[in-house]
Amino acid sequence: MSTVATRSARRHSRWALPCAFVLVAGLVVASLFVGVYDLGRDEFGGEIFWISRVPRTIALVLAGCAMSVSGLIMQLLVQNRFVEPSTTGTAEWAALGLLLTVILAPNVGLTGKMIVASIFAFLGTLVFLGVLRRVALRSSLIVPLIGIMLGAVVSAFTTYLAVSTNLLQMLGTWFMGSFTSVVRGRYEVLWVVGVIVVIAYIVADRFTVAGLGKDVATSVGVHYDRVILVGTSLVAVATGVTTVVVGFLPFLGLVVPNLVSMIRGDNLRSNIPWVCLGGVAIIIVCDIIGRVIRAPFEIPVSMILGIVGSAVFITLLLRQRSRG
Amino acid sequence: MKSALRPSLSALTIAVVGVLALASCASTEAAEPAATTASTVTIEDNHGSIEVPVNPERLVALDNTTFQTLSDWGVEVVAAPKPLMYDLWPSLVGDDVLDVGLHREPDIEAIVEADPDLIIGGYRFSEIYADLTAIQPATIEINARDGEDHASELKRQVAILGQIFDRDDEAQQIADDFDAAIADAKAAYNGTDSVIGLITSGGEIAYAAPGDGRGVGTLFPTLDLVPAIEQAAEDTSHGDDISVEAIAAANPEWLVVLDRDGAFNEEGYVPAKELIEGSEALANVPAVQKGQVVYLDPNFYLDESIQAYTALYAAVAEAFGAAK
Repeated sequence: MSTVATRSARRHSRWALPCAFVLVAGLVVASLFVGVYDLGRDEFGGEIFWISRVPRTIALVLAGCAMSVSGLIMQLLVQNRFVEPSTTGTAEWAALGLLLTVILAPNVGLTGKMIVASIFAFLGTLVFLGVLRRVALRSSLIVPLIGIMLGAVVSAFTTYLAVSTNLLQMLGTWFMGSFTSVVRGRYEVLWVVGVIVVIAYIVADRFTVAGLGKDVATSVGVHYDRVILVGTSLVAVATGVTTVVVGFLPFLGLVVPNLVSMIRGDNLRSNIPWVCLGGVAIIIVCDIIGRVIRAPFEIPVSMILGIVGSAVFITLLLRQRSRG
Repeated sequence: MKSALRPSLSALTIAVVGVLALASCASTEAAEPAATTASTVTIEDNHGSIEVPVNPERLVALDNTTFQTLSDWGVEVVAAPKPLMYDLWPSLVGDDVLDVGLHREPDIEAIVEADPDLIIGGYRFSEIYADLTAIQPATIEINARDGEDHASELKRQVAILGQIFDRDDEAQQIADDFDAAIADAKAAYNGTDSVIGLITSGGEIAYAAPGDGRGVGTLFPTLDLVPAIEQAAEDTSHGDDISVEAIAAANPEWLVVLDRDGAFNEEGYVPAKELIEGSEALANVPAVQKGQVVYLDPNFYLDESIQAYTALYAAVAEAFGAAK
């Protein structure tokens, strides 16, 4: 009986990933054909497709993967389900880095801005991890609270800097997660986060072991501190780049990995494809909603993500509890 | 002894009283000319009729839409929001002028210290109206009111300033110049070309809805322009999120653009010209192809006076005229 059950479950799971993939591919195609410009209107319609639609959809896919995988890695490293780049202060530090580059070296190009933002994100995450090590109480709620507090301090300083340099309005535009201005020539750097996701997949097993705690990891021969450092750098680069190109994308890193872990457990390597698909699906759905409900205007994806993300998450938590 | 003393005492008393009376006479004589010139005038501000001093000696001006007129008339102020003024009105921001700070964090103590006879509040500072009236009941708000005809509001404002500073003729002249610029722009417009108003900031393009917003939106009702996209604004001061695709789809003949960051002279910012004329998606739009893009004066965003609008209408008239 039990072998039959596992066999059928295995057969079920063998088909699940391709099915999900087809579903998400469908969403990607839908995203390509949602927009204000009628592609069949004139010969310029084809141009618009390559100038605006394709870049936007690629950017959505990359950013969706990057932020949800970043959340997953953070959750394993900190051993806490409620962390992601925006609840560890990582995104806020990236923002501070970006603002400082704009103030101190305004003529630095996009690449320079991203490098500085990523370095700040990295340092900020180390600060978070350092504070965490010195805190005795590490209950599941205290950890994200520490991150949120650190993030709030950093973003307060960022806001102060912006106010005193008259950049407050621009700050709002930069960090509002939105794909409205993503066109050919303004998103290509996001491919970097694609590379991050691939690296994360390659070193996935080490993160999984590190997720069991320092003692377990060390006893099976994993260099714990090095894994933490690698994980932190991957998250920092992914967050830094995404923040500079599209802004904050809240909840993605929180909701998607939790969804996947609830269903599938905590094997990072086998979870990564699911996390990517989930992240892409949610961000594309949110972006399509944002593009459609006030057409020809757009509602920033971060706003829709905030609403949809929190609704999904609360529902899940409540269902989990009622099941026991 | 006693009887001899009494008369001398009373004589002394009389003498003292006499001297005092003389002194008081002299002081009233000295004060009288000032008292006669310091007459008042009753004006109609946004809250109803109010009595204010003519040519107030100690004026606090907070509303940026009045600065140009005050500066042109050689009016001196005792306190002003210096960070809001940049270097545009040097005559208003001398070293002895107290700084009220930006509207987000106004220094109300500076206003108290300035001991004003009249406060011109309103617009960005409308939130502290109650505080201002507590400091000096003669506080007026004369900025353009929402929902009223914008052009008449500007003329009303300058007329009120004319009453207060006893320069009715000059005020009339400013209003006449403004009307003439509008008439020229109307005459130069062919009545059919479609127009879109845009606001650029932080490298992003936003839509300025007809009738609303700063500067750009007000052109539509005043000049009867044909909007290429007709939609009410959600964010009247910063514009709504719109994709280049939507602008391309609307295919406007004209673009009127407010470059929001232009006023701050920050190095390394993306100028509106680059954002719009450099955009691949907009390359096919008639406005870009024919070079029919009107950029507002970079300082317009800070100024917004009737004089700034006069210059804007004149620029529009010239552009429309050249296109014929």
